[in-house]
Amino acid sequence: MKPAPVAYRRPESLDEALADLAELGDRARPLAGGQSLVPLLALRLAQPEVLVGLERVAELRGADLDGDRLEIRAMTREAELERSAALPPLLGAALGHVGHFQIRSRGTVGGSLAHMDPAAEWPALALLLDATLTVASARRGRRRLPAASFILGPLTTALEPDELLEAVTMARPDGRFGFAEVERRSGDFALVGAGCHRGRVVVFAAGPRPQRLPGVEAFLRDGGAPGPELQRRAHAEIEARDDLHASAAYRRQVGARLVDQVVAAAS
Amino acid sequence: MICRLTVNGTPWEGDVPPRLTLADLLRDHLQLTGTHLGCEQGVCGACTVLCDGEAVRSCLMLAVQADGRSLTTVEGLDADPDAAALRDALVAGRGLQCGFCTPGFLLSALALRRADPPVDPARVPELLAGNICRCTGYGPIVAAVRAWLG
Repeated sequence: MKPAPVAYRRPESLDEALADLAELGDRARPLAGGQSLVPLLALRLAQPEVLVGLERVAELRGADLDGDRLEIRAMTREAELERSAALPPLLGAALGHVGHFQIRSRGTVGGSLAHMDPAAEWPALALLLDATLTVASARRGRRRLPAASFILGPLTTALEPDELLEAVTMARPDGRFGFAEVERRSGDFALVGAGCHRGRVVVFAAGPRPQRLPGVEAFLRDGGAPGPELQRRAHAEIEARDDLHASAAYRRQVGARLVDQVVAAAS
Repeated sequence: MICRLTVNGTPWEGDVPPRLTLADLLRDHLQLTGTHLGCEQGVCGACTVLCDGEAVRSCLMLAVQADGRSLTTVEGLDADPDAAALRDALVAGRGLQCGFCTPGFLLSALALRRADPPVDPARVPELLAGNICRCTGYGPIVAAVRAWLG
């Protein structure tokens, strides 16, 4: 199918982009790399009146990966990160699961976070790494949200129609970690995935949004180790849904095993 | 909207509707029909082209987003010795039957060969998973690309 007719604006700066969104509100959709939005346009599941193309907004490009605190601006492409020698191994491992390499040529970090597919890696990473998301609007200025407040549900974030995600920041992940997915084919969306770093445990692609497992985290703080008891706790805690790819029961069962694996890899 | 780009080394400029995908621009406006459209939603990889040297899905890029970019399609590979060697390897190894997916595989493989840092040939099966072939069962394609990458 082909996208429906749509107007296109191409702001040259962040201020111009925010002015466009303030004027147009929910008649407009920002367009980053397009790897999620263009298929929705083609399937006519999304039919905005206006696309606000962000490709010329210099303030949204680039990433600072050298210090103890990482800043990745929204239009940074996944392929650019993969080529960076300063990329922490945890992000590198997770990036290998983001679509196919042709998708990563165009896909952006901010686009993935703002789209919030429950099976996508970036929202899960943001939750796992306790990232802070900076969003901006022309009228209300900037606000900074922890990932847990930004991520609301499937295709739903705390972004208002006039707001843009500007950047994501996080403490540099270091030390041991685990990150694993089960997918039907390399590069496909995960049926279920899990990550563990510094005692935090996140499961994604199982339920409506990436989910921390506080019970499993408490078990680990109390000296718990990978094994049947950890898997039992994870199984009880994972929120899972049925869809045509996998049943909720499958996702809980496989998710519990993945949690066990990523905790073992991180400890 | 005015769109200026370079296709296979030749500058092109035209007025395009924003909803036009890069794939449709190439096929319908520039008559470069070697870029094939399978799924038109980013799954099959048949429409893969190079954009500033990187492999992209031309069905997942609007033509207006390609403004100012340099594109290579399968038609641009005629004088490319790497591409000629890859075509020979695919033919010799029976890495194609109907040929519908082949342009996408050629451009994906060329992007892998020119990747910096270089790709590990052991990752070829995983990296080619973004291109679907319904004839060969993949084994001959993977073997040909792996041998060609060296």
